[in-house]
Amino acid sequence: MIHEAAERALKAVSRYPQCEAYASSAVVHTVYIDNSKISNIETKRDDGLMVRMIDGERQGKASVSLCRDSSVDDCVRMAESVLKFSPSTPNMNGYALPGKARHVMPDVWDRRVEDITPDELRELARAVIDNCRVNIPRAQIRVSTHDCVTMNGNGVDCSHRSTLVYGHFTSMAVRDHPGEGMETYHGTHLDLDPAAIGQALSRKAEAAAVCTEFKGHEKLSMILPPSELGDMITSSVGSAIDGENVKYGTSLWKESVGQQVASKELTMIEDPSARAPLSCVFDDEGTPTERRLVIENGVLRGFNRDSFCGGSTGNGMRRSSVEAQGAYERTPAIKPLNLGVVPGRYSREDMIEQTDSGILVEKFAWPEADELTGRFGLNVRCGYVIKKGEIVATVNNALLMGNMIDAVANVEMIGNDPEHMGVVRVPTMSFSGTELVGNRGGCGCSTAIWRWPWS
Amino acid sequence: MVKADDIQDLLESAVDKMQGMGAEFSDARSQTIRVTGVSTTNGDLRQLVQKSTGGVCLRAWSGGRWGYGTATSFSKEDIDRAAAEAVRNAAGDGRSDLVLEPATVKSHRKADVRIHPDSVSLEEKIQAALDLDRAQAIDDRVLNRVGAYSEEIKDVCMSNSAGSDISWQEVRTLCRAMSVAAEGQRMERYYDGPDSTLGFEVVRDADIEEIGRVAAKEAIATLAADRAPSGNLTVISDPMVSGLLAHEAMGHASEGDEITKKRSFLTGAVGRKVASEVISMYDDGTVRGAHGSIPFDDEGTPSSCTTIIKDGVYQGYMHSLETAAVLGCRPTGNGRAENYGKRTWVRMTNTFFGPGDWDRDELIADTKDGILCDKMINGMEDPVGGCFEAKCLRGYLIRNGEIVKPLQSFTLTGRSVDILSSADALTKEVILDGGMCGKGIEDWVRVSSGGPYMRARMIVGGGQ
Repeated sequence: MIHEAAERALKAVSRYPQCEAYASSAVVHTVYIDNSKISNIETKRDDGLMVRMIDGERQGKASVSLCRDSSVDDCVRMAESVLKFSPSTPNMNGYALPGKARHVMPDVWDRRVEDITPDELRELARAVIDNCRVNIPRAQIRVSTHDCVTMNGNGVDCSHRSTLVYGHFTSMAVRDHPGEGMETYHGTHLDLDPAAIGQALSRKAEAAAVCTEFKGHEKLSMILPPSELGDMITSSVGSAIDGENVKYGTSLWKESVGQQVASKELTMIEDPSARAPLSCVFDDEGTPTERRLVIENGVLRGFNRDSFCGGSTGNGMRRSSVEAQGAYERTPAIKPLNLGVVPGRYSREDMIEQTDSGILVEKFAWPEADELTGRFGLNVRCGYVIKKGEIVATVNNALLMGNMIDAVANVEMIGNDPEHMGVVRVPTMSFSGTELVGNRGGCGCSTAIWRWPWS
Repeated sequence: MVKADDIQDLLESAVDKMQGMGAEFSDARSQTIRVTGVSTTNGDLRQLVQKSTGGVCLRAWSGGRWGYGTATSFSKEDIDRAAAEAVRNAAGDGRSDLVLEPATVKSHRKADVRIHPDSVSLEEKIQAALDLDRAQAIDDRVLNRVGAYSEEIKDVCMSNSAGSDISWQEVRTLCRAMSVAAEGQRMERYYDGPDSTLGFEVVRDADIEEIGRVAAKEAIATLAADRAPSGNLTVISDPMVSGLLAHEAMGHASEGDEITKKRSFLTGAVGRKVASEVISMYDDGTVRGAHGSIPFDDEGTPSSCTTIIKDGVYQGYMHSLETAAVLGCRPTGNGRAENYGKRTWVRMTNTFFGPGDWDRDELIADTKDGILCDKMINGMEDPVGGCFEAKCLRGYLIRNGEIVKPLQSFTLTGRSVDILSSADALTKEVILDGGMCGKGIEDWVRVSSGGPYMRARMIVGGGQ
């Protein structure tokens, strides 16, 4: 259906010097858990189309869901109407040129996802519940198939199929006070381990339920596990290497190619050939993707680019790493496909042992750094205060402050436990130069020595 | 185009089908959403797009569970297939003890706008974005100028097994200017612009030049800002940050589903003192023109005003059909979904603190040492722990009742009840500010939040 829609649309706009049709189709099954009970099961289908064209210095663009017989014609008519009123924009590059694949198709399709039934999804959710010894007030498991096709007047004609599995789970325990745990799963395959998730949810909620409020203000190192580091890296490094930010001057690294921007220990590779939610042979504009070094031993090697920026590196994406619906509605934008930190040699236990003064953050309210400046000031929901290689307290209600662009230049240790978190794959990492602030007074930490991990 | 009468017949037929298949309650909701978006960067047209999406959400309640099905076309065959899928997905065990009590509503409403965006040329909308962009070009230090115009027109038809027959239109129009100013390696930003559930009058009545100029001028001014002090400090939140506190600190924890799951620190709080006597707080989906206003929620319940806190005492929760039934209350019109393909659950509309009796200047003059907030970035709720996080775009340091210097972005946190119990002064004017709420992770709905300027104690941390 989407191939036919894209072909019809492209034919209808083929008279324009530059034209493109992108169509996508998703089937999404979601099971929701409320209060350790299965509450909702949803089945969704979503088919849609985007048409774009450039005529001289003017551009047209429109998208529709394919909900009516007339949808393709409606989309073309709307795009032409936009083109008619579009002012001149001399800064427009053309759409993607056809290119040869630079690697084989990554392993991003899981037949088990395609074949899953509501009963099987319910059983998977039930297994998470059964393996968690505390309440699960809110959780969801979403599995999706996604098909898309990109065609343009330059001769690009490519398609992509992938499956997505996304899980988001919260847990709650009441000990000294209520505490909340959280786990997420990002992947393409149905490899979600209900037992491991249930156990992690139990441990995290129980730890959060005995946190003491942090009091005081101190400089220390921060150790971030993948769950908290992923979005911090995406929002800071991801923005600094974004070609559009470079084009408009808002990247802090805009003039830093070939320069040392990070610690020598840090190497980051964009690898769309490995299994990951956005891995693909051609991006969503039809440009071939490739494995390449972005940061090598701390030296910046290049930026991510799309057709709008020119010199596309195959990072023009419409798809999301967590949500299969609605890709056709999004204009291509620069996104890492699978930006990975090369793992180090440290286990999390090693990192704790080698930290003189630090905090291992189990959970932030929401991990992110400012995309423009790299600054962050994040509420710690649960963190382990480390003194001389030992965890001495579990704390909450404090702010951890720093700058993520500075932090990647102050890497202390890199862990050996990488995980996918959206568009990045990161291990646990330790950084120096952050500050923790809580209510006034001395540190309210208890002095009991705790060990990682807890059984 | 499917005519409204035709779609209403299809929805009623789908509801009959779900009831016939054993649903205890069912509803069917069709939506078409049309969006026009324009954004420019440094005079380049970066986005110019028109979108149209449509579909039907079918819900069946059976054995204490919801089943959902989604049709992405308006054909009878597709809608009936999704209806059957909804009943199959519910597949509850026997009959539920819980009886939903939807109101039976028959109403067909048009959007309450003066200038419908459909009556305005695309050319004028593009020009609005370009004018916002151009107006920011006041200084070479303005590195990046963004002008944006956006409109969303949502048409909804709904039918349910209680006999409701409803249709309505929601229109949202907004424009924004955002400037990034730079000096050396340092960059700062500022933004301004109105949002609403009104029509194009929002743009024609606005002083576009002034909005653009303010964004640029304030971004430049922030280049001289210092790092905010850290610790437990006196903070005067501006209406945007007050709104963020209302939304994140108390609003999410007052959503009925968090109460039925006992996930909220406000479970069982009705009648308890949770704030100082100067604090009253509301969620009101009926505020004319506010970004979060809705005539009906996505379950067909008419929108209403819920008093959450009155004079410091906790009053009650926001509800969907399900949470109202669980807690023996009336639904409040807060059952909302991002769109036809997403779940319906308890969401806020326009959430705000009521006014006090101070003037802003009087409040600043009365503050010996403190921080005045100026605009927010975003926030995060913590219904379990009773805390919150609010990121402020910038602020000012107050010493001996006077503003002495600007401060760069910082974060506020603390225990919600402690903060609101420390509140001692609010100004007279309440201002609402529109945004999107994801309830933790996703499922974005349009809301607004606001309040007056409010003075309270909270933990402040300035990023480096």
